[in-house]
Parts: sequence; C-alpha cells; structure tokens
Amino acid sequence: MNEEKDLKQTEAYQKYLNTTHRLGRVFTIAVLICLLGAPFLMGAYLSASPNLPAAAKAFLGVGLVYLISCIVEYLIYLPMLGAGGSYLAFITGNLINMKIPCAMNARDIVGVKSGTPENEIISTLSIATSSLVTILILAAGVVLMIPLQPFLQSEALQPAFANVVPALFGAMACKYYRSDRKVALIVLTFMILLYTFLPSLLGSVSMMVIPSGALAIGLSYLSFRKKQKEAADA
Amino acid sequence: MELLSRLNSPVIYLICGGIIAFVAVICVIFAVRAYKAGKALGIDVSKMKRVITASVTFAVLPSIGILLGVIALSGSLGTPWPWLRLSGIGALHYETQVAEAAAEAVGIGGLSIAGMTPEAFVTIALLMSFCIMWGMIFVTVNGKAYSNKLTAPKNDSQKAKKKGKLNLSGFGDIAMTAMFIGLVSAYIASYIGSIVSGDGRFTFTGSLLPLAVAIISAATMGVFMRLRKMKGAEWLDSFSVAGSMLVAMISAIFLGKIL
Repeated sequence: MNEEKDLKQTEAYQKYLNTTHRLGRVFTIAVLICLLGAPFLMGAYLSASPNLPAAAKAFLGVGLVYLISCIVEYLIYLPMLGAGGSYLAFITGNLINMKIPCAMNARDIVGVKSGTPENEIISTLSIATSSLVTILILAAGVVLMIPLQPFLQSEALQPAFANVVPALFGAMACKYYRSDRKVALIVLTFMILLYTFLPSLLGSVSMMVIPSGALAIGLSYLSFRKKQKEAADA
Repeated sequence: MELLSRLNSPVIYLICGGIIAFVAVICVIFAVRAYKAGKALGIDVSKMKRVITASVTFAVLPSIGILLGVIALSGSLGTPWPWLRLSGIGALHYETQVAEAAAEAVGIGGLSIAGMTPEAFVTIALLMSFCIMWGMIFVTVNGKAYSNKLTAPKNDSQKAKKKGKLNLSGFGDIAMTAMFIGLVSAYIASYIGSIVSGDGRFTFTGSLLPLAVAIISAATMGVFMRLRKMKGAEWLDSFSVAGSMLVAMISAIFLGKIL
C-alpha cells in the first residue's frame, strides 16, 4: 500500500519537474525576448537606434567579465536552487545579495537536504516569494518616489543602505561558520591573505567566490573522506 | 531635461511595467505550482507557510537597498528602465558598472543626464540587457540536463558501494554548506582586505564600517540562535536574518559618524 503511494508520489513529482522545465524554458525565452526587445521598442518611441559598434566595444570591455561570471553562477547556483528555483532566480536576478541566501535560509529553517524533492519545492517557494516582495517594494517605491526620495536619500541613512551586503553576510557567517569552524577559519584566513597581498583582487570579489568556494569544498571533502574511512575501520 | 521627461513618459512606463507584471505572473505561477506539488508530496503545509513568511521578512531589507539603486540610476536613465532592470534580471552591483561602460563607449563621457542622447540611452539599455543574459541562456539550453545529472548520485553511490569504492552520498549537503562558507568568506575577507590594503598594500586606510556591520550582524544572529533554542521560539527563525540585518544597519547609521 505504502509502496503504491510512494510510486504515485514519484510519478507526480517527475511530472511536476518535467512541466517545471518546460514552463521554465518557455518563460525564460519570453523574458529574454522582452528584455532584448525593450530597448528597440523604447528606441522606436524616442526615434533612436542603438549604436551597435559602441555596444560591441563596451561588451568587450565589461561584458566578457559578466559572461564568465554568469557561467560560474550557473554552475554553482543551480545545484543549490534546484530546477524551478534556478529558472526564477536567473529571470529575477540579484542572486548573491538576495536569492541564494534567502533560499539557503528557507532550506535550513525547514531542514531539507539538497537534491531532494523537498529542496526543489522549498527553494522555488522561497525564490518566488522573495522576488514578489522585491517587485512589490520597488513598485511601491516608484509610486512613492517623490515623497520617499528625501527620506531614503538623506545623508544620515546612507551608511545603513551602503552596508546591506555586509549586514547580510555577517548574519549568514554566524549561521554557516558554526557548521564547520575549521574549514571556515582556513578559508577566511586564506582569502584575507590573498586580498592583503594582491589588493587588485578587491575589485572582483564576486569572481573570488570561485577559489574561496573551491577551497572550502576541497577541505570539506578531505574531512568527509577521513570520517568515512574512520567509520569503515571502526 | 526634456529627454529625462521622455524617459519618464507613460509609454516607457507601460513598456517596462508590462514586462515587470509578466515577471510577477511567472513568480506567482511557480509559487502556486510548488505549493500544490509540496502538498501532493506530503510536505507539511505549516513548513511551507514558514518558508513563505521567512522569505518575505528576509527580502524586505535587501529590496529597500535595491530600491535605492533604482533611485540612484533614475537621475540619468529615468525611472522606468532602472525599475525594470532591478525588478527583473538585474543586480545592484552590476547595473551601474555596465551602464557606465556603455556611456563611455557611446562617447558621452559617463553616466549623466547632461550628456545623454536618445541613441546613447537605447545603446546603454541594450548593453545592460545583453551582458547579463547568459545565465538565462545556460539554464534554458542546459538546465534540464544539468539538474538531472545532479540528482543522479544516488545511483552512483549504489554502484560505488557494490564496487567497494568510496560512498559519496551525503556529501551533497556538505558541499553546499562549504560553498556557502566560501561565498561568505570571499566577502567578509574583502572587508578586512580593504582595511589593510584598500589603497595599496599595507596602507591601512580602508573603512572599518563594513567589517563592523558584519560583526554586529553576526553577533545579533548569535543572540537569535540562542533564543531560538528556547521552547516555543521556532517563530524566530523567520525573522532572525532580517532582524540581524536591521540591527546592524541601524548601528551603521551611528557608527558611520565615528568610523
């Protein structure tokens, strides 16, 4: 009886995943067309066309960095976010400063494991909710732009809004460093030394997530293997 | 100034607002489908409700930060386009950098309404869309194959067990946590690196504020985690990150005057 129920659930989940991929692809392509089409549409209204040689020149200057950054984000964050969460996160953006920490926070609150159907559902719910919150706050902000502008841009509040990311990563550090203090200490020390001796790297912190993450995963793997061997010997 | 009023015209609002509404509809569709699938899979409804509450509280403060990005860019690009960029695919740190590079390439010197022309605006807008679209392309082209590959380790571990090799099942979660430790460390270390070598190696002229904010946020989170251990305090989970950030950001207002 239970086996039959499990089988039905597995089939339903597989169907859900297949539809998620299909919808995800269709919506992503539609959003891409909208985003690339919007400048031309606005251009038609403004009676102007994009200067393509200048756009190509700027792409070579700054766009290539983002191409690499996007590849890295895709490879690293898709496993964290699952299928539905990934389609949504790549459509709605703000990955590092919101979507990834938000999904990880939700995952921890309910205690689900990566790669499980629960993770897929929780991650999608979390990213969809946080994206809607951003859309609503931005819409409200745009409507209230004129009355809110003096308050939000007041000099006294600037240190607070300039430090959203440190505030976010401070809280997350407290949460995650506890899970493996040794790995955290080694990785943090390594990164401090790297930035101290090669200060030019301070300009590309988002790219430095690659060596930092690779070191953390490598050290965790060694510790995991050691524990497994000890368990096998015991 | 005439261009700025055209960039803030109802037509541009309609184009950008329409795309934002479409993105919102996509989010609602995915959320409803996930909620229904979760129920069908037997996931506790109260758990899903906690996830929704936690995600709402989590997203409020960063969203206000993103709104400031819209305000900052609205002086040179009008309000609707930055509103679209930051509601949709964009990212706070990315938009200004790409817009600035595009402005230089079209020959208006920098991102400012003074030198802005309709052609420059359209070129900047196109480049802002083009440079960051790759994640969407990869996930469309290869997302299914990649995520299927990631759910395969179960079979690998069973095969490994049979062959007497190392069993890697269970390492997925450890790797995710490690990746996050790496991500957080890259940023926290950059605050220390900036203090020591921000203006050149061992100059010690960088601002202490980001590090102080991170420490206060971590300490507040520690308090939340202790309180969470008390009976009946599970609800704190939904507010711990947002609460820690709020305390740290309020502290920044006062610390900004001394540091």
